[in-house]
Parts: sequence; structure tokens; C-alpha cells
Amino acid sequence: MAESDQTNRAGESPSTVASPTAVDEETTVTEEGSELERSIGLVGGLSVGIGTMIGAGIFVFPGIAAGQAGPAAAGSFAIGAVVALLVALPASELATAMPKSGGGYYFVSRALGALPGAVVGISVWLGLVFATAFYLVGFGSYAAAVLAEAGIDLGGAGVVVPLGLVFGAFLTGLNLFGTENAAKLQNYVVGLLLTILVLFLGYGGLDAVGIFGQPSAPESFLPFGPMPVFTTAALVFTSYLGFAQVATIAGDIKEPGRNLPLAMVGSVLIVGVLYVVTIFVATSAFGSERLTAFGETAMVEVARSFFGVPGAVLILVAGLLATISSANASILSTSRAVFAVSKDAIIPKYASRMNLKYGTPHVALAMAGGPVLVLTASGEVQVLAEVASFLHLVMYGLICVALLVIRRDEPEWYDPEFRVPAAPVVAGVGAIASFGMIAFMQPLSRRVGAAIMIASGVWYKYYASDVSLKGVL
Amino acid sequence: MTDDQPDTAGDLAIREPPRVLVPIEVLEGQTIPQSLVAFLAPAELILLGYHVIPEQTPTEQASMQFEDRVRAAVDDIAASFAEAHSDVEERVAFTHDREQTLDRVADEIDATAVLLPNPTGEIDDILVPLRDVVDVDRLADLVSTLVDGEDKRVTLWDLTGDENTALLDQSEQTLRDRGLADEQIRTESDDVEFPTRAIVDRSDDFDVIVMGEGEQTLLTTVLGDTSERIADGAVAPVLVVRRERSEDGDDEDS
Repeated sequence: MAESDQTNRAGESPSTVASPTAVDEETTVTEEGSELERSIGLVGGLSVGIGTMIGAGIFVFPGIAAGQAGPAAAGSFAIGAVVALLVALPASELATAMPKSGGGYYFVSRALGALPGAVVGISVWLGLVFATAFYLVGFGSYAAAVLAEAGIDLGGAGVVVPLGLVFGAFLTGLNLFGTENAAKLQNYVVGLLLTILVLFLGYGGLDAVGIFGQPSAPESFLPFGPMPVFTTAALVFTSYLGFAQVATIAGDIKEPGRNLPLAMVGSVLIVGVLYVVTIFVATSAFGSERLTAFGETAMVEVARSFFGVPGAVLILVAGLLATISSANASILSTSRAVFAVSKDAIIPKYASRMNLKYGTPHVALAMAGGPVLVLTASGEVQVLAEVASFLHLVMYGLICVALLVIRRDEPEWYDPEFRVPAAPVVAGVGAIASFGMIAFMQPLSRRVGAAIMIASGVWYKYYASDVSLKGVL
Repeated sequence: MTDDQPDTAGDLAIREPPRVLVPIEVLEGQTIPQSLVAFLAPAELILLGYHVIPEQTPTEQASMQFEDRVRAAVDDIAASFAEAHSDVEERVAFTHDREQTLDRVADEIDATAVLLPNPTGEIDDILVPLRDVVDVDRLADLVSTLVDGEDKRVTLWDLTGDENTALLDQSEQTLRDRGLADEQIRTESDDVEFPTRAIVDRSDDFDVIVMGEGEQTLLTTVLGDTSERIADGAVAPVLVVRRERSEDGDDEDS
């Protein structure tokens, strides 16, 4: 248990609001006996997971991925899905045992201690910042394509980053001052996206296998050899970051024992299938070189080749919605990640202050939105994506290690409603796969990611080295 | 909660004494008029202090910052009830969804009615709109339990638009059987196009409205519960009598 002398440099110690054991299906009960209502159901949880992920995998990556690995990019997405599943299962078990805000950071800090916890917590905050910036650049690409389609000329490719910046500022502001609940809206947006995609991919898939026309086999499956399949898998892994965001809102999920595993595993399965089919359809419509030339909005051209202008417009609109929902969900997750480390006194408690008038976590939101804008300005889609993946993969690997450690010597309070079958194998392979994927990234991304982790560790040693969290509930 | 089952020995259709959930959004400065507290004296009160936060804020984060203030405010309000109610149960909740929290707590405590507060003066005139046939017995029983003096007047207002006055007669008879004098009861019936608006429009002539929960329809799902909309528009507080729940907490009629 936390000792009172375990304080950070500002003299703050971790706060325990509610023990993870004081959880029932609809509420968490705090130490003082107040009830914290859980208000997100299974549909809401799935929509957070899918809504965060779908923007990247379908609307940003296909052109880039096909350019690097050819039609075998479908394999890259499949590899990503398997790795994500291997992590989603251990994460689900830990989340049902500790259904609290904070997700991966919480599990790692409680199972492995404050130093790994702090490194993961701060890294994931910044990892989400990188991911959000990546989604915003994707949004900018779609917004620019919409303007181009409408015949408005704003000076060529230069508008992508400014559009992303403007919208990033708008989303941050919306979350700071908006008190209308938008969760239902998010559910409808995700539902609409899934409908559009299933229709589009269904038709495109049937066309590609030759039902409507000639079967198309434009090029060999592995035009660039097997190695790019793995490097591309590392690049596109950003498309699978969303399931862990479900764990960050675990404190708000109803019936966590049932809904958390279903939402995490289910969202990975759904987007994984959609991604693989998307690449299949895209590479059967165009050769890899053409797709690369289309860049982030390649899917628009694919839709145009099937359905003409209406198809292109539909996918443009879908791309806008998808990148908006990804960016918005990530900003919210970022603010929760900041809250989680701030609550434990790893960073100043000031970061978890709320705005009195709006009831929103304004400091944490600013710590999300501010750096996001700086990174969006760089416009480096691939580096943003890889650094985001790097920082998440470190957390994923450590989540698997956390499960192994906890399972080896189960604490008394540990009572997950969902248990991973063959846990040592799943978590062991999951950890190796997560860390292994990092090896296939660009050197620049690895250096940036490693620098952020080292800086996080140094920060902990400087600011909060007396705080210990292992086994603290 | 076996001890929470309605006591049928007194042949009332509601539990005795009735249990009323009093939800107050304390940090928004909401309060309960003393006259209303006195009016509810025959009932057990469960005071629910709640705070609604936008969904971008984790409930845990809100409780870290506001729990002490909310609890203190709820304690103060409970203390101000002491004259009429010596033993008020207190609960505190942080939520993203007010209706979900109210429904959950009302189910958990097996509440007979939920109070939707509004300012009011001395309580003399009680409006009881009858909109459908559901649970008229419970409505009449709660009204008769709360109206304990000779000085209060009850207006039964039939808004079903039905020529048949059986509903009105039955309610009037129940009130008489429970000891209300003839001059305390007034009956009216109107066929109006929008009952909700009609109730809101008459609310400033009365000191409290006691009404049934009504049925869940597509319209109430879209617009919110009828009683909630009336409480939003009305000048008087609204006491909503809940449907009879079966033992597992589900609606009996669904």
C-alpha cells in the first residue's frame, strides 16, 4: 500500500479514488461511498474502438502500403491484426480485473511498478499525440481532395497541413467548451461508415474475383519480395491502436466483465477483416504504382473506378468522417492518459484539474491539443504513424509481460471475469511480436520513439522517483 | 431487497410508507423548498445529490475534484430536512447520463415516486393529471397518503379525451375511501390536443403536480420522458409516481 512519504517533487502522492474491486455492472463506488455511473454500453465501446481505428487503415494507408508491399500489403494488415489480437486478449483480461480509466498504463504500473508505468504512461500520452497528428494530416488530405473535387483551387498540395491544423484546433476547442454529449453521434457515424464500407467493399470484392467482369490479376502478389510485408506491417500498425483506447475508458463501460473483452477483441476483428478486403479490392483495381501516386486518398480513385463520381464523393465524405472520428477519439484518449498519470502523481496533479464552468478537463485537453498541432505542422505522415505505433507497441509488449507477472503470482484482489485461455503462450507470443515489430520500423521513427521513452524515464527519476505503484490499488 | 416489497396489509397499491427519491443537482445550486419537504413528511426520503459531467471527463476525475463539495452540500440539505424527516438516506453520484442514474437508483431503492424539483410556496393545491389507465391506483394512493390535513385541495384532471369517466370516478372514489373530504376533491376533464403543454400551462395555478410515469413510447425515447418535459416547463414541482416493478426490477408491463 502507498506510504504517505511516497510523494513526488511537489509533495503530491497518488490518489486512490476507488478500488478496482468496488465495481459492479453499473457503477464504481468510491472510498467515500459515492457512485460513479457507467454509461457506455457494448455498442458505444465498439464504436470507440472501430471509430479510432478505421480512419487510418482504410482511408489513409492503402495507397502507401500497396506502394511498399504490392498486393501482399493485405498480408501486412493481417499480420497487424494477429499481433493486435494477441495483445487485445491479455489487455481484456487485465481490464476486466481493473476496469478503470487509464488502460494500459494502469495495468503496467500495478503489475510491474512505477518506473515502467511512468515510461508507458508518458509515452502513451505522446504516442496518442503522434497518432492524433497523423489522423489530422489524413483529414487534411481528404479535405483538400474535397476542395479539389469541388473545383476550389487553394494552391495545390500546400493546403493539407493548414486544413489539418485548423481542424485540430477546432476539435480541441469543441472538447474544451462543448458539453453536448456526442457519444451517440459517434455511434451513428461509425454505423454509417461501416454501411458504406461493406457495400463498397462487397461490390469491389465481387468485381475483383470476376463476378461482374474479368478477374483481374494485374501483377504478382509479392512484387517487392517478402521483407516489405513486414516493414509495411510495422508502418500500418497505427491502424490497430484503437482497441487499447477502449481500455482507457474502462471506467465508463457498463458490465465491464462482458463488454470490455467483446469491444476490444470485436473491434480488432471487424477492422482487421475490412482492412484486408480493402487492400485486396484496391490492388485489384489499380497497380501498386498507381495507388502510390494517389497517396493518402487512393481509395477515392478506387471508388471512382467502380462507381464514377458518385462513388468518389461517397468515399470522400466517408474519409472525412472517419478521420474526424479517429482524431476526436484520440484527443479524448490523450486527455484520459494524462489524467491517469497525473492522478498517480507521476506528473503534477494540476494536470487533472477540471474547468469549473464547463466541467471539462481543460489542462489535460490542452496537453493533448497543443503538441498535436505542433506535430501536425510537420506533415510527416509516415514518421507520425510509426512513432505512434512504436510507443504503443512498447506498451502492448509490457501489457503482455504484466499479464505474465500477475498470473505467475496472483494477488488476492486479482479476480478477472475474463481469463485468456493458454495465457502464458498468448501473452508470451504477444510480447515478442509487439517488441519484434519495432525492429521493422524506419531508423528515424525508432530514434524518436526511444528518445521519448528515455525522456519519460528520466522525468520519473527526477520528479516522482519516490512514488511506487506496484500492487497499489 | 425483500424488505422493500410493498406492504399489502394496508391494502394500498403502494408500499407504506411510500419512498420518494429526491434527486438534486447540488453543484448547480438546486434546492428543495421547505414547504415541499413538509408536504413529503409522510414518506421516506432518499436524497440523491448528483453531478452531471460531459463525457470527455472521466467520472473518477470529477469525483476527485468535487466529491467533498457534493457530499457537504448533500449533508447540508439533509440537515435542513431534519424537522420533517429525521432519517434521510443520502446518496451521491457522478454521471454522464442523468436519466440513467435516476432510473438506476430509483430501481435499487424501489422508489414509489421521484421528485422533479421546482420552486414552490405553501402547498395547498395539488394537480393530478390523469393521462392513461396505467397505475391510477398507485397515483391515488400516493396522493391520499401525502394529503393528511383538511386544508389541501386535490384537482383530478382527466386528459384522456375519453367520454367514459370511469377513470376519474375510480380515482375520486379511492381518494374518498382513503379519508379525503368531498370538498377537498375537484374533478375536471378536458380533451386537449397536447396534454403535456396543457399541464405546463396550468402549472402556475397549483403548488405541486403529482402524475404517473406514463408509458415508454417512441416519442418519449426521442423527446425524453413526458414528466421530465413537464418539469422543465412547469412552475411547480412534479412528483412522478413510478410504475409497479416486478421483483427483478423490470417493468411488469413490458
